[in-house]
Amino acid sequence: MKDLVRMRTLLKEEIEQLLNKQIKMEAHSSSIYLAMASWCDRYGFQNSAGYFYKQAEEERKHMLKIFKYVADMGGTAISPEVTDVPQDFAGFRDVFELALEQEIAVTNSINRIVDACRRLYAYETEEFLMWFVKEQREEEYVARRAVELFEVIGEEGVGRYMIDKAIPKISYDEDGE
Amino acid sequence: MTTLSQTTTQPIELYTNAKGATFQCDLTNRIILQFGEARVSLRITDFLAFKKKVDSVDIHTMIFNTDDAYDVEIIDAPRTNHQFVLTLCDLIALRDLLAGTRFTLELNSLLHARLYFAPSY
Repeated sequence: MKDLVRMRTLLKEEIEQLLNKQIKMEAHSSSIYLAMASWCDRYGFQNSAGYFYKQAEEERKHMLKIFKYVADMGGTAISPEVTDVPQDFAGFRDVFELALEQEIAVTNSINRIVDACRRLYAYETEEFLMWFVKEQREEEYVARRAVELFEVIGEEGVGRYMIDKAIPKISYDEDGE
Repeated sequence: MTTLSQTTTQPIELYTNAKGATFQCDLTNRIILQFGEARVSLRITDFLAFKKKVDSVDIHTMIFNTDDAYDVEIIDAPRTNHQFVLTLCDLIALRDLLAGTRFTLELNSLLHARLYFAPSY
């Protein structure tokens, strides 16, 4: 008797479900960043708006990477419905704090899937997810550094202007140089 | 007797209950679903999608809502031109049939992974 399920897909059902949830989360992140870009543009933080436009694009690329993996491995990739995207934020700093929280949530979610992969012996997907594990290190660093700038520069006087100027320059150098 | 690896020419029974039965056809790689008078043949992807549809019906609402609209549920069998018109009892029996079938498919997968593909040394 043929193993029709395995012939169809490399992915175990639980892993496929988790990856589809992650696709949705990445799409949601992308939309939140787009809303943040819009908010920053409205309040004159042009550089930050540019940073969030870039982040929104990156999250979409992450979503597509997982989407394509699910489809390529014979699974059913589900085009996500994105709802509950906040359009307004309490202030400049809050936008960045929320962005950091979002990145932490994504890291935790990726870790949970890696955990499930190990539990279900899905080594091929675990290896695929290692790219995201590494990526999240960078994403979290950048988001955390952005929040840190509010402490380092301060919001008084021309502080917000200076923070907005510094935001696009944040980059993560793994070698610590 | 057939082994795990052999392709059989006759459909193999996967699960049976009072209202129906399911079979796997190794020649066409399809799942044959016999439920009441209906008989449909589904690709594995469509079988899993159909199971999801059936599982997603809100049985609680069907039980407690007195409106006629909640007496039956109509569900398409993907790519078969067949619609299942299901009463509450049908729905519960169909869910059981699909769950039992899914279990057998899963068990077969497990046996393949652990026995058939296991090294013989």
